[in-house]
Amino acid sequence: MKVKTYLSQKGVLPRGFIEGVRRIIGDEHCSQQEGDLISYSLDYWLYGVFLSQKGELPALPSAVISPASTAQIQEIVRCAGKYKVPITPFGGGSGVLGGAIPLNGSVVLNLQRMNRFLNLDEFSLVAEFEAGVMGANLELELSHRGYSAGNIPQSLYCSTLGGWISTRAAGQFSTKYGKIEDMVLGMEVVLPDGNLLNIKPVPRRSVGPSLKDLFLGGEGALGIVTRATVSIHPLPKLTIKQAFIFPSIEAAVDVVRQILRAEARPAVVRIFDEAESERYFPKIGRKVTTIFISEGETEYASLDARVIRRISRQNGGKSSGEEPVDIWLQKRFDIGLGPVLMQYGGIVDTIEVSALFKDAANVYRDMVSGMRAVEGVLEVSGHYSHFYREGACLYVTFAGISKDPLRYYQDTWDAAMQATLQNNGSISHHHGVGFWRMQYIEQELGASGVRVLKSIKNALDPEGILNRGKLVDGGRQERD
Amino acid sequence: MAEDKKETERIARCAMCADMCKYTCPTYLATGRETLSPQKMARLIVYNEKGFLEDEEGCLDLMFQSAMCGACSRHCIYDDYDLRKFIHKARVKAFDSGVIPEDVKKRVETFRKFGNPDGERELIDKGAGEYGYFISCSSYKDKDLLKATEKMLSKSGLAIRRFGGGDMCCGAPLYYAGDTEGFRHASLKMKAEIETRQVRRIVVDCPTCVKMMTEIYREIGVELDVEIVHTVQLIEALLKQGGLGLKREKRTVTFHDPCILSYDLAMFSIPREIITALGFNLKEPVYSAEHTHCCGATYGAKIGDHRLKDAVTSMRLNELRNTAADIYVTACPTCKSVLSEINMKYITELVAERIIAKR
Repeated sequence: MKVKTYLSQKGVLPRGFIEGVRRIIGDEHCSQQEGDLISYSLDYWLYGVFLSQKGELPALPSAVISPASTAQIQEIVRCAGKYKVPITPFGGGSGVLGGAIPLNGSVVLNLQRMNRFLNLDEFSLVAEFEAGVMGANLELELSHRGYSAGNIPQSLYCSTLGGWISTRAAGQFSTKYGKIEDMVLGMEVVLPDGNLLNIKPVPRRSVGPSLKDLFLGGEGALGIVTRATVSIHPLPKLTIKQAFIFPSIEAAVDVVRQILRAEARPAVVRIFDEAESERYFPKIGRKVTTIFISEGETEYASLDARVIRRISRQNGGKSSGEEPVDIWLQKRFDIGLGPVLMQYGGIVDTIEVSALFKDAANVYRDMVSGMRAVEGVLEVSGHYSHFYREGACLYVTFAGISKDPLRYYQDTWDAAMQATLQNNGSISHHHGVGFWRMQYIEQELGASGVRVLKSIKNALDPEGILNRGKLVDGGRQERD
Repeated sequence: MAEDKKETERIARCAMCADMCKYTCPTYLATGRETLSPQKMARLIVYNEKGFLEDEEGCLDLMFQSAMCGACSRHCIYDDYDLRKFIHKARVKAFDSGVIPEDVKKRVETFRKFGNPDGERELIDKGAGEYGYFISCSSYKDKDLLKATEKMLSKSGLAIRRFGGGDMCCGAPLYYAGDTEGFRHASLKMKAEIETRQVRRIVVDCPTCVKMMTEIYREIGVELDVEIVHTVQLIEALLKQGGLGLKREKRTVTFHDPCILSYDLAMFSIPREIITALGFNLKEPVYSAEHTHCCGATYGAKIGDHRLKDAVTSMRLNELRNTAADIYVTACPTCKSVLSEINMKYITELVAERIIAKR
């Protein structure tokens, strides 16, 4: 194979394992063809994508295994346990921290054949899907019937329900509809020993710690989510769009804080800093722009919009009409600039963190200034999204160009993580850990936190079969 | 040279995209195989061009597993980009190197012998007029469609010359096989056949023929001096002009949007307006209009790779069956034949059934 791998090498699989897997799922669904190995070598970890244009890939799987049922996954996991072959679950491959990269000679367990819409309970407002369903397909099925799950991440068109669960994802409309942990009521999980865990869908339970939370952010290292039941919402009867200009990031954040304190629940709230505002809304230029979408039942949406309007105006907000919201709605899935910059040698990535309102502005200032100080930087910009009554997610995009791209990438991440931790923020709001963020996890969780997580991993998966080298395994990865 | 560089940049950025269109790709959805997703196909094409692959033949074989339906292009985040052009180039490379799949090879051989992909056929050439109705290869085999078309045309009062069969074919099977020379020859022959008949406007049932005779012929420098329209456009015009008298109807109809009609010709609303004008109630499947899925046989899904084709067909049949409509209708003779399990009709048949004598 002429492609180069730089994180780990493809393994040699025991013959018994391959024969066993082929017996379980048939020859055509267990591939070692070059095209398949390359296609499952990388997710959307952007430094990896940057290197991929030179034929350099982080790791190649030893095989790609594509089951069609939970029972087949159970058998495959047991077979892997018997032969001590590590497995990397692969959903949509849209994760940006390398969570689906097949490290350590693992095989890829491709979940994309399991993409069925299983059940709709309109009375209870829940729907069940297989974990490999693509977000957009899930939403198309639901919207056809007058519903939405409300999870609309930028990766909607390339990420799966299982991926959302495993990374503890959040979508653009999360301030009203919640994050994935608020949506998932029940799930089916294949454990690392091949046994099945069924967490039935109920609104809440008090039977010890919440087991489903182990897998909401489990990154495929604690179990393989095979199906899930999510809560759904009737499509909104009314949508009201508003945008305001505020004199500073601090002022805008404070207005949103007051709006949420007043019990308004807009589906979308986004505060764009000057740089992002200029990029999204050239007509507005370098000003702090905040957009709101209120939606739902007519009375509630109207009231919500009224509260937003009143508090924004009382605090010096200048209305910008609906246009910025329409522009954002149009551009929100456009990730086209990243690949173009990478073609010209640029490094691009995004970092999302969270903080309480008291720290939110400081996290932004320190993150952006720290990242802007790194040699090679071209641009750093940010927006707040995913608001809570208590705080928000800050999402920073950076681009740079350097003779030593890895140094630039590492230094920028270090600066961002340091600024977040120093200001009491969390190192990740919704992208997860994968392998890249593992280097900062101890600073986030502390030694005790990491010990707890490792104990759970060791108890469930003592042989390290599932997604080895992710979440808590191993340490900082250095390029060969 | 500058254009070549631009083209290389286009596919290279597709190869670094997050695969934002794969949710709409029928071969990917039907198989759950990441490798068939548009961005991964792009990466493999780029890698093959740069010499990063050991198994070039395997890569080229994958290129024949695209439905070439255009869903990815329709939903691409970049303007002015169509992955199919690059897949087609790779198919040309495969054809020139003699590594095309066996079933494709057989189809090309049949074409070379008979001038069409199906074998020996009778030549049809009847009627006269400035309008032409070109009987595509897929319509030729469909006696019900031809009968319905005759009924509709005779009631329309238009003078129409019907021609097709024999060795007349737009050349699409050769184009999708990567046979550049063969396709060029077929397109020039088609041009000559049309010119001989001296028609001003040609109506075609098959969306692929329309695409070939307009967009693809133009790309290879073959310009037809006639207007090519799809059958739904003719029906629309006839209904608007009151050229057809119609009975009313209340049954439900699900329209299957043929991929080329939808993604390349952007004709979503015309068939729906026709069906509604006939008095039927439309029942839309989840995947319709600009989210339609290929039936599995756009002369592209490895042309006869039955496992892949069957997987795509079976997915589409399930999607359509879910509407539980009284009647299933489409506007592509190939789709009609492939989806025959649900008694699919061509839209002309629906019109012909409803025609009554004009007062």
